[in-house]
Amino acid sequence: MKKIVVMGIGNYIFTDEGIGVHAIMELEKLKLPENVELVDCGTASMFTNSHIADADILIAIDAIASDKEPGAIVVYDKEDIMLSRVPMKISPHQIGFQETLLHARLRGDIPDIVKLVGVVPKSLDASIVLTDECQKSLPEVVKIVLDFIEEFNK
Amino acid sequence: MAKRITIDPITRIEGHLRIDVQINDNNVVDDSWSSVQMFRGIETILRGSDPASAWSLAQRFCGVCTTTHALGSIRCVEDALNVEIPFNAQMLRNLVLTIQSLQDHIVHFYHLTALDWIDIVSATKADPVKAGKIAEGLSGWPKNSVNDMKEAKDKLTAFVSTGNLGIYSAGYWGHEDMRLSPEINLMAFSHYLQALDAQRQAAQAVAIIGGKNPHIQNLCVGGVSTQLNMDGYTGLNIEKLDWLGDIIGTVDKFINQVYVPDVLAIGGIYKDWFNMGKASPNYISTPDIPLDGKATKFAIKGGVIIGKSVREFKDWKDTDLRSKITETSKHAWYEENDPLHPYVGEQTPNYTDFEDDGKYTWCKAPRYDGNVTQTGPIAQIMVNYKLGHASTVKYVDYVRSKLGLTVDQLNSTMGRNAARAIKTLVMVDYTKECYQLLIDNYASGDTAYNNPTTIPAGEYKGVGFNEAPRGMLSHWVVIKDKLITNYEAVVPSTWVASPRDNENKKGPYEESLMNLKVADAKNPLEIVRTIHSFDPCIACAVHTVDPDGVEFVKVKVR
Repeated sequence: MKKIVVMGIGNYIFTDEGIGVHAIMELEKLKLPENVELVDCGTASMFTNSHIADADILIAIDAIASDKEPGAIVVYDKEDIMLSRVPMKISPHQIGFQETLLHARLRGDIPDIVKLVGVVPKSLDASIVLTDECQKSLPEVVKIVLDFIEEFNK
Repeated sequence: MAKRITIDPITRIEGHLRIDVQINDNNVVDDSWSSVQMFRGIETILRGSDPASAWSLAQRFCGVCTTTHALGSIRCVEDALNVEIPFNAQMLRNLVLTIQSLQDHIVHFYHLTALDWIDIVSATKADPVKAGKIAEGLSGWPKNSVNDMKEAKDKLTAFVSTGNLGIYSAGYWGHEDMRLSPEINLMAFSHYLQALDAQRQAAQAVAIIGGKNPHIQNLCVGGVSTQLNMDGYTGLNIEKLDWLGDIIGTVDKFINQVYVPDVLAIGGIYKDWFNMGKASPNYISTPDIPLDGKATKFAIKGGVIIGKSVREFKDWKDTDLRSKITETSKHAWYEENDPLHPYVGEQTPNYTDFEDDGKYTWCKAPRYDGNVTQTGPIAQIMVNYKLGHASTVKYVDYVRSKLGLTVDQLNSTMGRNAARAIKTLVMVDYTKECYQLLIDNYASGDTAYNNPTTIPAGEYKGVGFNEAPRGMLSHWVVIKDKLITNYEAVVPSTWVASPRDNENKKGPYEESLMNLKVADAKNPLEIVRTIHSFDPCIACAVHTVDPDGVEFVKVKVR
């Protein structure tokens, strides 16, 4: 069975920056198939390459800078990330994520499928509570991840 | 006419570093500014929270050194309440601390600064047979063969031929001071890839002890929650301990046979960089790796050097260590301008825009007894060398004899990289020692791992020191009626990324850039090398903008 790693990226103590970690916390409450591993990787980026190397399918969740309204969700594929089509000025851990994927490619253990579920933040102040906009998007983020898991497990 | 170079990372969200220098007509730096472009204020979220679980949030302070912030936090609460922890707990914490250092220093050298010195584009022109011979001559590492070099070259060539260098496109390829031969560049690139394995194993080791990595789960006030259960199926059993021992052995080999030889080889070719990038010869480090539950004996020494004089801190109770640290905000975007002790630290923002002679950073200026002071591997090494710490003296003298250096030359751009390698040698020995001490202690029948502690009513103050990968970290807590009323983390990068202080003395980054000659203002490799040698926590890709905001060198991110 293929291994699916769901990775929450972001800093939990900076409001919407932590959306990836909040999503992992939501997913932890659910019963997921055995081939799914949830990883709260915070902002450790390239320090978490062991989780990426282990994955056949990688689903990452992160805050993402965009002109879209706060709470908007944008999904990217592996090639978007590798070719840097993801809008930048996101955060250092985003660079870390790209770099980590590049390292995985150079080493030959990049997951077959990579999805990045990005959420546009509203506030990056010091707080562990999401803004209303991002809180409202959280169930949708979880649903997107669950749909991916279902699709990949077919 | 004087020119201004601004080097600013590409990011906006997390803390990032901006460096400004002014260069004269001869391209020599004659003024410099270090600016952290993010308001931290993260300590405020701990005010009003439970001291017993503060460590769990505190480990989010930094994305990279999570475990050291967790340790700093738990130690400050235990210090406030005067809690002793079991020997086993101390050893397990020591292992987390030392292994994090090993991982961090390997990653720093290969993944955060090596590409300032090695030219990966040049490596595609290397002869793998020659590269293999050079590598095999450096050490008996099994992956130094011609085949390994050939494999690395094939991977790199395939990647470069796609024409999309991705994150590598920000590199200074072809710069006139990239002086390694294609073969050494190839060997270093091959080790760059192999270092990913070594650091991955170190991450697994921390997860074995801490339950998870990057965010460990196993701390509690009074010890750890990791049950020692040698013969059982759960907890830290014999199988896991064996696994841990294997990993430590592998990482030790990588450090001794790859990392250190590479630092020596590259350092030898760039030897003049041991004469550049000097900062004030003042250093502070804390004693760490406690060898008993009460933290009265330590494996590594702490102390402070101001110029020629050294003073040892025997333990964390030292009154000077606890009273002579202040932070000043005259040049930082906070209200309070006078030096303040961390217990009464204030964080009221006062943003003014970037003022060369006024406020220009979110970073406060920590000082020891009013002195500009470096922390980090260089400080730990200088302090321990001067205090005659045996293994530090041994490894410093080894590196000095290989490269023909004076001790003072370690206070330089390449010297800080060498000091980090020396520190890694010291730390890996203690990793092995703490592992053995843990096993021996358990074998003697002591299985205790926690002294359960409840937070009492009343008012308490405490500080938790630790020698983190980037230097001395201290967490300061004030507890009143079971809740945190003030919390301040004086993080290592603050000491070195510090702005000018209340007496307008520059911080260590700023000092280190003075008088550097920049060959090409549009490609300020010299500045990047020097700042990266401090291992700034925010070591992102950088680009250059001129005063009108036009980008000179653009990191291709889209």
